[in-house]
Formats: sequence, C-alpha cells, structure tokens
Amino acid sequence: MAETTEAVATHEQAGALTPEHEMSHEEAANDRVMFGFWVYLMTDLLMFSVLFAVYAVLHANTVGGPGGGQLFSLKQALIETLILLTSSFTCGLGMIAARKGDKTQVLAWFGVTFLLGLAFLGLEVKEFAEFVHEGHTLSSNAFLSSFFSLVGTHGLHITSGLLWMGVILAFVIKRGLNKHMVRKLALLSLFWHFLDIVWIFIFTIVYLMAFTA
Amino acid sequence: MSKKQSPENTQHTEHGTTASYIVGFVLSLIFTAIPYYMVVNKTVTGRALVATLLGFAIWQMLIQIFFFLHLGRGPKPFYNVVFFVSTVGIIVMVTVGSIFIINHLQANMAPMDTTKKLAQDEGISQVSGKQTGACNDIGENHKIIIKDGMATPAHTQAKLCDSMTFINEDSKVRDMAFGSHPNHEIYGGESEETARKGYPKTITLNQAGTYQYHDHLDPAVHGFFSVEP
Amino acid sequence: MKEFFLGRLTSQSLPHEWFTIGGSAFFGLAALFFIVLLTVTKRWKWLWKEWLTSVDPKRIGIMYFIVAGFMLIARGGLEALMMWLQQAIGSSNMPGFLGASHGYLSSQHFQEIFTAHGNIMVFFVAMGFIFGLINYIVPLQIGARDLASPFLNTLGFWLYVAGVVMVNMFFFFGGEYAATGWLAVAPLNGIQFSPGVGMDYLIWSLQISGIGTTLGAINFIMTILKMRSPGMGLWKMPAFTWGSLCSMIMAVTIFPLLTATLFLVFFDRYFGTHFFTTTLGGNAMMYTNLIWMWGHPEVYVLVLPAYGVFTEIVATFSRKPIASYTTSIIGMIGVSLFALSVWLHHFFTMGAGADVNAFFGLMTMIIAVPTTVLVFTWIATMHKGRIRYTSPMHWFLGFMIIFALGGITGVMLGVPPADFQFHNSLFLVAHFHSNVIGGVLFGVFAGITYWFPKMAGFRLNERFGKYAFWCWMVGFSLSFIPMYILGLMGATRRLDTYDAATGWQPFYICMLIGGCVIALGVAFQIIQIIASVMEKKRLHDYTGDPWDGRTLEWSVSSPAPAYNFTTIPHVTTRDAFWEMKKQGIAKPQYEDIHMPKNTASGIYISIFAFFAGFGFVWHITWMAIAGVAGAIVCAIIRTFDENTEYTIPAAEVEKMEKARLQKEHEEYGDKPANTGPEYDMTLREFIITVVTWAWSVVRRKQRQA
Repeated sequence: MAETTEAVATHEQAGALTPEHEMSHEEAANDRVMFGFWVYLMTDLLMFSVLFAVYAVLHANTVGGPGGGQLFSLKQALIETLILLTSSFTCGLGMIAARKGDKTQVLAWFGVTFLLGLAFLGLEVKEFAEFVHEGHTLSSNAFLSSFFSLVGTHGLHITSGLLWMGVILAFVIKRGLNKHMVRKLALLSLFWHFLDIVWIFIFTIVYLMAFTA
Repeated sequence: MSKKQSPENTQHTEHGTTASYIVGFVLSLIFTAIPYYMVVNKTVTGRALVATLLGFAIWQMLIQIFFFLHLGRGPKPFYNVVFFVSTVGIIVMVTVGSIFIINHLQANMAPMDTTKKLAQDEGISQVSGKQTGACNDIGENHKIIIKDGMATPAHTQAKLCDSMTFINEDSKVRDMAFGSHPNHEIYGGESEETARKGYPKTITLNQAGTYQYHDHLDPAVHGFFSVEP
Repeated sequence: MKEFFLGRLTSQSLPHEWFTIGGSAFFGLAALFFIVLLTVTKRWKWLWKEWLTSVDPKRIGIMYFIVAGFMLIARGGLEALMMWLQQAIGSSNMPGFLGASHGYLSSQHFQEIFTAHGNIMVFFVAMGFIFGLINYIVPLQIGARDLASPFLNTLGFWLYVAGVVMVNMFFFFGGEYAATGWLAVAPLNGIQFSPGVGMDYLIWSLQISGIGTTLGAINFIMTILKMRSPGMGLWKMPAFTWGSLCSMIMAVTIFPLLTATLFLVFFDRYFGTHFFTTTLGGNAMMYTNLIWMWGHPEVYVLVLPAYGVFTEIVATFSRKPIASYTTSIIGMIGVSLFALSVWLHHFFTMGAGADVNAFFGLMTMIIAVPTTVLVFTWIATMHKGRIRYTSPMHWFLGFMIIFALGGITGVMLGVPPADFQFHNSLFLVAHFHSNVIGGVLFGVFAGITYWFPKMAGFRLNERFGKYAFWCWMVGFSLSFIPMYILGLMGATRRLDTYDAATGWQPFYICMLIGGCVIALGVAFQIIQIIASVMEKKRLHDYTGDPWDGRTLEWSVSSPAPAYNFTTIPHVTTRDAFWEMKKQGIAKPQYEDIHMPKNTASGIYISIFAFFAGFGFVWHITWMAIAGVAGAIVCAIIRTFDENTEYTIPAAEVEKMEKARLQKEHEEYGDKPANTGPEYDMTLREFIITVVTWAWSVVRRKQRQA
C-alpha cells in the first residue's frame, strides 16, 4: 500500500528503526497484544511461585495426619499429566489450522483439546472429592491447605481456559474464523501451554516428590 | 530494511510447524516417563532424587517453551525472552529465599521450656507443625488454698489443659515453685510464682504427669498434682 | 432468609459512633453536592462522555490526580493530624475525653487510624499520583498517541476507584477498619485475632486496586517497549520514561506476590485454611516473609518515577543536558535490580540468625550505591548550569536534603545489630517518612507543578508554590526531626499513650505543630490552584514550551490535543525536542489518525468487582458469586467487541488544528508583557479578591431579599 511504503521511506531517513513501525497498524497492534499477554502470563507465573513457595515451606506440617506419600495416587497423577500434555499438543495443531484459516480443523482440534481438558478436571475433582470424603479437607492442616490451594488454583485456571475456549469456539461457529478470532486463539494457546508447564512443576514437586522420602 | 513483510513473519511470538509440535510432544512424554519410573522403582533416592526430578522438570519446561511456545524464534528485540528469564530468576529468589529464611527461623526457635511459656501466654499451640504443648481451650479450674501454713487440697487431680490457681489467704508472701525443695523443676515453662494475699496466681496444666509444688520460703507448705492426658 | 440476602450485615453494622457518623455524613453531603451541581448545570452527559468513559490517558491521568488528592487531604492527611493530636495530648498525666483513657482516641480507634493511614497513603495516594503522572506524560514523551491498551487503562483506573470506595466503606457498614498495622502481620490478621470486618475491608480494597495496578503496569510496559516513535531507541528515551519503565517492571513483578498472599490470608479467614494460623501447621512467619517481598520493592516502585521527574527538572532548570545520561539510567536499573533482594531487612529481629541477616544487611547497604550515583549525577548536572530557581527546583532541593537524610538513616537501619535497637521505633517511622514524603510526595508535587502548563494550558502561581514548599519543608522538619530523636530515646511506633515521666511530650507537641505547618502548606497548594485559575489568561502557555524544555512533550500545544501529535515525530537523539528546536521545527504534516472509542466496560467490570469484594467481606454469597460472574461476562463482552476504534481522516485533523489555533488566538491574543513570576498574584491580592467576591455575593443576595 502506498501509505505504508511512503511511511517506511520517510522512516528510513530517521535512522535506527524500531521494527514495530515497519508493520501496519494492525500488525503492530497484534504484536503488542501478544507481548502484553506474555507479560501477564509472567505475572501469573509469579502468583503460582508464591503458592509453590508456601507448599515448599508447609508441606511437612501434617500435624500427625497423613502426608502426600500416603494420600496421593501417583498413577492418577501420571494419567492427568499425560492428558494435559496431549491437550497441549492438540492445541498446537489447532493453532496451525487457525493460521491456515481452516475452520473445520480448528473446531476439531480445539474440540479435542476441550474434551481432554474436561477429562483432566474430572480426574482432579474426583481426587479432591475422595480426600474430602475421607476427612482430609483444606482446613485440616497446613499441608492440605497448601495442596488444595496450589492444585486447586491450577484447576481454576484450567476451568477459566475451558470457559474461554468455549466462548471462542462459539464465536468461531457464529462469526467464522476472522483475524480477531485467530488472535484470540493464539492468546488462548499461549495460556494453555503455560498451564501445562505449571502442571509439570506441580506433578514434580507435589506428586513425585511426595514419594522421595 | 523497507521490505514489506507478510503478516506471518512479523509476529513476534512465533508459531511453528507440525513437526515442532510432534517433536516437543514426544520429548515431553519421555521427560515425564523417566522421572515417573525413577520414583516408582526408587532407582535413586533422597536428595539426589529431588535434584534429578527438578532437573527433569526444568528440562521439560525448556522443551515446551521452545517447541510449543516458540520462544526465541521471533525477530528482535527478544523482550519475551528477557521477561521470561527474569521471571524465572525472581521465582528462584522467591522460593529459595523463602525456604532459606524459614528454615533458619525454625532452627533458631528457643528451647522447649521458654517456648512453652511464651506459647501458652500467646495461645500458640503449634509452630510449623510441631506442637508447643500450649492449650487452646482451658478446662476446669482447680483451687489450691494456702492457709495457716497448709495447702489444701494436698493432692489435686486434674486433666490436661485444666487450670490451677494458687490462692494465698495467709498474710505471708509465698514463692510457689515446682519440684521438691530445694530442687526446682520447670513446669510448663513456669519456674516460680509469687503468691500474695489477694493476688491469686493461675497456671495452665499443659504437661501430663504427677508433680510436686512447694513454697520455697516455707517448704512445709507443699502438695502434689496429677495431670491426666 | 435474611441471612441469605444480607450475609452478616445487620442494623448494628450501620454508623453509630461519632467518627462513622461524621465520615458518612461528610461523604454523603459531598456526593449530594456534586449530584446537585451536575444536575443544575446539566453536565451529566458531558461528565460521562468526556471524562468517566474516556480512554484518553490524559483524562485518566487527571482523574487519578483528583482521586489521589482527595484521599491525601480527606483521609490520609486528616488521619495524620488526628494521630499527631492524640500523641501530643495522650501523655499519661493528662485526662482523656470522648471515651478514651488518654487523649481523645481509644486504643482500638488509634490502631485503626494508623492502619488506614498507611494503606491509603501507599495504595491510594502515592500509587494514584504516580499512575496519573505516567499516564499523562509518558505517551507524550515517547511520541505515542495513547497507551498500548486503552481498555486496560480505563479498567485499571476504575478498579483503583473500586478500591478507594472499599477502603471508605467501613464508615457506612461495619464501623471498623483493620487494627493490625498497614501490612497486617499474621496471626493478628487471622479470624481468631481480628474477627471483625475491618481486616476484610483491608484485604479487598488492596486486592481489587492491586489487580488494577498489575494491569496498568502491563499496559505501561507494553507502551514504553513497543510504541516509541521511530528513531527513539531505549537509550534515547527521556529519564522520566526510564524511571517509569523500571518502576512498572518492578510493579508487574511484585503485585502478583501481593495478590497471592492476600488470597492466602483471605482463605485462612474465609475457608479456615492454615497458612498463617497458630494451629494445625500454619506458619505466621511465612506471611511476614511474603508480604515484605512485595512491600519493599513497592517503595522503589513509588520512588523511581520521582527520580525520573527530578532528573528532567534538574536538566531543564539548569539549562544543561543530564550530566551523564548512561550513569543515571544505570542507577535507576541498579536500584530496581537490588530492590528485589533486600526484603528481610524489615524483620531482622525475627530471629533468622546472623547468616541470613548478614546477607540481607549487605544487600541493603549496597542498594544505597545506585541511588547515590543518581544524587551525584543531579549535582553534576547543576554544576556550571545557569540555574533558574522555579518552584519545581525548590521541590528538588528540598528532596535532596530530606531524601538524603532518609537514605542515610536507611543505611543505619540496614545494619542488623543496630537495627535491634531501631526496629519499630520512631526512628524507623521518621526514616521512611523522610523517603516517601521527601522522595515520592515532593517528586509528585514537583512533577505536577512542572507539567501543569502542559496539562492545563496555563502555569501555576509561582509565589504560592514557593510558600507551599517552605511550609512543607519547615513543617516536615518540625515534625520528623524530633521523631528521629524520640526514636533514639526509645519511643516505639504506634503509641497512642505514654508515661509522662519519659519526657516525650514536648517532642510530640513539636510534631503536632509541624503537622499544622504542613497543613498550612497544603492550604497554600489549594490557594495556588485557585489563584492560578483566577489569573488563567495571564498565565496562559502560548508556545507549549513554557520552561524551554528538552523532551518531546513540550513540542505539542498546551493542553495537548486528544491525539497528542498530528504526526508521530521522528527522533534521532536524546533530548529530542531540544534537537528539534536547534534544527528548526518542521511544518505540520497531517495523516489519518486511529483513535480508540470511549468505553464504559471498565466502569461496569469494576462495579462488579466491588460487589464481589463486598460480598466476600460480609459473607453475602450470592453477591460474591454474582460479582465475579458479572465481571467475567462484561470482560468477555468487551474483549469480543471487534469495533473499538475510529479513524480521523487527515483532512479533518488539519481542520481541527486550524480551528484550535484560531480559537486560541481569538481568546488570548498576543503574549502580554506581564507573564513573568514577579507579576504573580500575592497573598494580599488573593485575600482581597476572595473577600470582595464573597462580599459582592452577600450584597447581591441582600438586594434580592
């Protein structure tokens, strides 16, 4: 477009460039949003780090009650990990489809991601329900408080992600796969991958390390 | 560089190919399976295991950061990378710093006796999972009346977390201590209680067992109390 | 049934004490006054369109100033005066009244006051002013039209306002605020030892505005890193932008820590968890650890923009560029880096032992180095400059003295063995007030005075500015120097009464007098604004560059148009505007301008967030759930709105610019001769003018009657 090349030509005279102004207004906006969302993900990571730090300090305070080694099912945790990992993979494939503009594939892959996410949540809720049924609630002792908060907060994030995914997919069905939707899917997949990374650390520090004593 | 670049290439957080996702997925599976089997089969134990597990977690994070999130594959400036690296640094500081500080605070806790008295006064029944022995809910109150050079009742039967009050109805000041004269013991962090007429002194029975008390200034005044758990 | 709808709200929660009745009446009358004023002048629509739903960072900046200023005077400053008064008359040999055993405030009330004072000053005054300055000035300095996300900007502002409303809510419902100290140490902050709603108000006002701060910080970072004008590399940015960038990067780092910690306290109180309790495994010390991880870097978040302001002011009024740009920026970055590694110095005495204390003591002392580098850079900038002693320069010089004093006492406090004496004494209180008042507050005053012409189109009365400054200086000295001495004499902080035999009362009385002098300073600042408005025409800024400035914000008209620049400037050097003046300013070129539309979604989300918090405070479950759900729904509606911008075509821009210049010429004509500060209105003239006006109003009413 004439405006862009002319603008770029005058920019050249100005000397060192910030790449943002090589892009059109829309591309620059996209770039900003992705970066801003990345910064938000970093803040979310920091919030999780407080929960991890609290878990690290309090996990031994069972006040005589059972610890992680007695309560957790490592096998179930592994299954949850594999489910989430696979959902991260399908999410990536969905993103590739989105950039290609393939609406059917997008709905298919993100649909699978959604179901896997739901399965993950189901298993987690089952685990929580079992503990509560046996009398191990989040007000039982500090270990359980920090366990439920850390894993529960991750679960809440997964739930938000699923809600977000559902809304986007509904809009994709209604409005079609336009560039706004592609951008939203890109942000969502960033979020989803990030949640998988947090889960790796939960799996390691909460579940695996409970059995290292 | 005035080339008009296509929308695909100017995105700073990059997107990848199917190949990168497959590679990342397979690697992640491997990096999940190995630590799992190490824990289940106890191939390594103790601190070495903890370090190994953390190592695998960090590696898998890097795998996912590169293959799924494509960090580092965009054009300059690498703001995303800078922010990510500094966030990791701060997370390390938050977690390691907290563990460092809290462990030191724990290690420097005062000896049991002093802790117990402070804990009872403040109502703190545990610190970091270790019981202080302080009682939260006080049960019955048992009165020991000191009159005419005698303490009544001679033997007090109480339950754990009851309270006991020394009431001095003599005109003499009495120094109530625990143990048998001249030896002093510490009970619940308390060593001596001065009892005057009109100023009763109460202690919380937060230790089980049978104990003796006596007036240090006049050892004839003495008695026993048993605390049942 | 009533419990379902009202949670724990009862008729007892309504105001029934002298201060809750007084506070409610004050807010109620103020609200009534504004409702009547807006209705009579038919300005509701104007207010909604031009201000409340605006996404223009200039408008949002001014709104931040108004709310922060109001909180400074009506709450924070008033609380300070109340405390000074209590301590001056709270000696054990004087009788108490109004139900207090000594002085006029009960112990409980006094504790609530110092808690509220701390929270309000840090979160709602200092943060508000800082965000206002950054909002207004940074886009102008980097050659941008707006922030990266106008929606996040307005959302951040209204979440801040929701926090302000929440912290004042106890006047109407509940009658008590937290009595725990501004950071509410565990286990005192738990449900066992603070069972009332006051602590919950603290949690939720901080939590809601904290989320607003995080979103705002993300926005500022996006803007500064991604929206600078072409040619402005990072090392060519103005100093205030650098200070803001460092500050916001720190803010984005630490506010998530605060959010998480406050959630943990909330869980302890609401769900019975055991993070910081004294029973069942809780560790109260972990709370202190976490909260200071936030609390210490927070003070640097506040002061770094002030460093930036002062760097600009010193350079402009010494008529020289900054002595060493690279050094001062490295100083700011150095402060930010070290700020994150010193937090334990707030609890040296908690018993972590010599190893831990030594590490943090060392880091605390090291952090003095980058700040000192900055101080010397400022002095070097002044050296061989042709200094103009305007009122911003006065604030700077006052800052140098007071902030340096605070810094030196900070290093004293940072020596762990010495801190065992100083900790929680008045010495500590004097130290941090030296830094926040001398550093942050003076920086804000200097910045507002310096940039006022840009924001309002006319400069402030210099005379009253200087009177205000001297009142603040003298008042501060009268108030806080005795406080240092008292601290060394053994007086602890947060004392509402003390033994007369200690001999402390004369010092406390001196502190009260200092406080009154500061109040006089504030009065002068208000008079300054009124007098400047009265002399608007004379003080008008004709060129947009009243101080012969060096940076880009002075290249636009005063006040700046909504889109800031007609064309985004191309930059080649530091002090870009100075360079432009040397080269000769080019003819204006016009291009299409994309502008964001106004939006009310920030207001709606914040209203829902407020009700969520209120529901949590009073255990009104339906309200909490509805609040959270409503906020989410509004956010979804807004983020899925694809129609958020409009374009002003170039021809239209040209028309608007020409019309504006025409209007200005008609209204103000040519620059008169008497615009210098020596012609500024004097106090005598001000009093005469006000009295004459008041008298004429009375006479008119008499004639009508």
